Amino acid sequence: MMNFEKLTGEVIEKLRAAGADQACCTASTSATREFNVDGGKFSLMRTLFDNSLSITGISGGKKGSVGINRFDDAAVEQAVADCMASANSAAPDDAWQFAPDGQAHTFTQGVLEADVDRLFDRTAELMQQIGEKFPKIMVEQLIVSHVRSHSVYRNTNGALYTKDAGYYNVELMFSGHEGEAASSFFGTGGITDNLDCPFMKLGSIEKDLADVEKQIHTKSVKDKFTGVMLLTPGCLGSFLGDIADNFASDGPVLEGTSIWKDKLGQQVADERITVSFAPHAKEMVCGQSFTSEGFLAEDFDFIREGKLESFLTSLYVSNKTGVPRAKNSGSSMIVQPGEQSVEEIIASIDRGIIVGRFSGGQPSTNGDFSGVAKNSFLIENGKITDAVSETMISGNLADMLQNVAAISKETVVDGYSVLPYAAFGGITVSGK
Amino acid sequence: MLDDIITKRKKDFAPGVQTELRAQINKTRGVSLLSGSLTTNVRSEVSGVSARVYKNGVYGFSSTAEYDDDAVAAVLAAATENAVFMDKRVAKGAPSLPPVGTGQIMREITNSDPAQKTYIDFAKAIDAYIEQNCPGLSGRGVSVRADSMEKLICVSEGHDGHIIMPRSYVYLRLTADSPSGNPVELFVPVGGLGTFDTVFSDPALLFPKVDELYEKLMQKREGVYPDAGEKTCIISGELTGMLAHEAVGHTVEADLVLGGSVAAHNLGKTVASPLVTMIDYAHTCLGEPTPLPIYIDDEGTPAKDAVLIQDGVLTGYMNSRQTAEQFGMEPTGNARAYLFSDEPLIRMRNTAIVPGTSKLEDMIASVEDGYYFIDTNNGQADTTGEFMFGVCMGYEIKNGKLGRALLDTTISGVAFDMLKTVDMVGDTISWSSSGFCGKKQPMPVGLGGPAIRCKITVGGR
Repeated sequence: MMNFEKLTGEVIEKLRAAGADQACCTASTSATREFNVDGGKFSLMRTLFDNSLSITGISGGKKGSVGINRFDDAAVEQAVADCMASANSAAPDDAWQFAPDGQAHTFTQGVLEADVDRLFDRTAELMQQIGEKFPKIMVEQLIVSHVRSHSVYRNTNGALYTKDAGYYNVELMFSGHEGEAASSFFGTGGITDNLDCPFMKLGSIEKDLADVEKQIHTKSVKDKFTGVMLLTPGCLGSFLGDIADNFASDGPVLEGTSIWKDKLGQQVADERITVSFAPHAKEMVCGQSFTSEGFLAEDFDFIREGKLESFLTSLYVSNKTGVPRAKNSGSSMIVQPGEQSVEEIIASIDRGIIVGRFSGGQPSTNGDFSGVAKNSFLIENGKITDAVSETMISGNLADMLQNVAAISKETVVDGYSVLPYAAFGGITVSGK
Repeated sequence: MLDDIITKRKKDFAPGVQTELRAQINKTRGVSLLSGSLTTNVRSEVSGVSARVYKNGVYGFSSTAEYDDDAVAAVLAAATENAVFMDKRVAKGAPSLPPVGTGQIMREITNSDPAQKTYIDFAKAIDAYIEQNCPGLSGRGVSVRADSMEKLICVSEGHDGHIIMPRSYVYLRLTADSPSGNPVELFVPVGGLGTFDTVFSDPALLFPKVDELYEKLMQKREGVYPDAGEKTCIISGELTGMLAHEAVGHTVEADLVLGGSVAAHNLGKTVASPLVTMIDYAHTCLGEPTPLPIYIDDEGTPAKDAVLIQDGVLTGYMNSRQTAEQFGMEPTGNARAYLFSDEPLIRMRNTAIVPGTSKLEDMIASVEDGYYFIDTNNGQADTTGEFMFGVCMGYEIKNGKLGRALLDTTISGVAFDMLKTVDMVGDTISWSSSGFCGKKQPMPVGLGGPAIRCKITVGGR
């Protein structure tokens, strides 16, 4: 294996020689072994070997970046020249900085060696169990893989991070069928560092298969009402991702278009809402170890008991705006569970909708959202009645967080996140 | 340009299997200015070689980022080994892939590579114009992106090829606050096939686009939400293209048909109004080049048009060689891979509803109480054909005349139901090609169509 510590050191020196006063470089290599099932049948086995060399040079506040996937001398020389030519064409901006006072760290995460035969067997087992337990499910695509990577990050402030990581990944896309009737398609999966358990038990795969089998025959809501939206864990993660993007990420904070721009430390949500980004939590597989700006990744609370504790901002945007930077790049989401069971929450809802997937346009800058409730069930008088189709839901992301009806005590752990079910009032539900 | 070190390796292809060998380079150049700050200034280049081997109904694939004789030998060996592993464990016993003829298809077009300064200066000139000429904005974004994909394709049975497809776009985004203080936004991509210097000669030529976008934004900030419910509407060619791609196109990709899409039960059936014909064009449409012309796919199949809906009847699917064999159809060159490390998947190329005879002004005049939906910022659809598009620009139509501008909304429906309500089809096709289609891998695609009159569910607020 190539000595990346040496390579990144040489690249940094070349960047300095070409005029960079700050620079960083990441060299990495990866090996992927993957099985594909298409249309319910095994179709493909892949073995992939890839490289990556990312370099950034800053000269007098002018920044350029180049990415290539080769390590040979000619390619590296060209990349350094391109990087500095890009930087020299940019406007100076002193906000471009790396983490100060870097040190050397080594990280090893997950399972580095793939057990290819056992991976195949677990995949075949999942297909067999789906066929036996969920005969109405048709698997559109199943991709299982083992990915191993080795990377070294170095910058001019002394950071030198070496990381070896390996994990198994499962991605399952499927739908339910009975005659010509079909459910919406649904995607689920997760990552794991072992093959000890059947994939059926990973994340919410088994529950998702069971739910989709009940979504083959649907009805459209016939009227328009304001009710409660109970989000499944996966769907809650998507909504919170939109909230983070819309109100707390670099773009809206830098431009000042975030409606939370002056809300740091203030109540932006019901006090039952606590959302963290915690790559070091024991439930996470191969979480982030360091950021591209050279900081060690730390866990942090985004919203704690309803108060906005941190934006998801980079050092660059922090330097531009004065808001503190986020302590990681916004990965590995954990939402604190509540007191009630999902069953109790459903029983408490007079009229509402369980949303498994939201197919909507990009929420507006002010948080308004509107789209189709997919893989969803109607709740009436505390009971699940019908699976629904052609049913729209709309509301506002910021208002939603203030209007929490309940959070479940059950959570789904899929290697990327730990998420409960959560119910929000004041949502408009309308049929065709 | 890629050196051809793979054609000579045909002699090393394993006997008794079908082999594809592909070398590829993807280049991307990107610059973004966010309210004047240069937030993105990157160049990237990803290259390597891959092999895919078909044996008795299963595939083995391997790729590596190196590109020399040893790398080619390694991927051929590993792909063959993987195919043998799969055949042994799965034992499908399927027949060989159907023949697609033999030959060579070369499409090398100018592939210049401007310096990063070219992109930065261009973006700055447009940003400065916006700052000086568009008062009252709360945010602005100018992004420039150029990408290109060069492939050398060498197959055991089929056509070999060497193709390059560069494309270049400028993305403009303007944000302003509505009178009630809520931010409203509009976005437009401009550009198309070709390297940046051939597509964009002078930033001043884009200033009218900025003016047009600004004018629309000022209308939109005073806009209203449409009423929710099913309405007779005119949707623009851009939205028709999105409908053709997302709501119909994906359901007639043969791999998704095998995965249970709605099209599985509808071949030969009426799925749309007789006014609707839909084609996945390969490289030429109505005598003109398509936005992203495809001449050969990555399985060595020469590209031809795939007629999907003819006069309202579902007539075909888009296929790989393997699915064409399964469905008894002719492969038309739809199997494409995004990176060297990606296997070919069934992908759309330039998917469009064919123009009809109606004039847009007559179509608008024919609507008593409805909407004219113009621009979209997002679209999603299901394998059932149920779709949802975000609409970011549109107008009321009252008594045949355009009224107030609309705030962001969504439209939705079920494609094979909604297409049956089409009763007017415009006479002009509009194409877009700036985005990526997502399906395991991203892929540049063209999508297009004329304005159509139809009944559609409007999300309202």
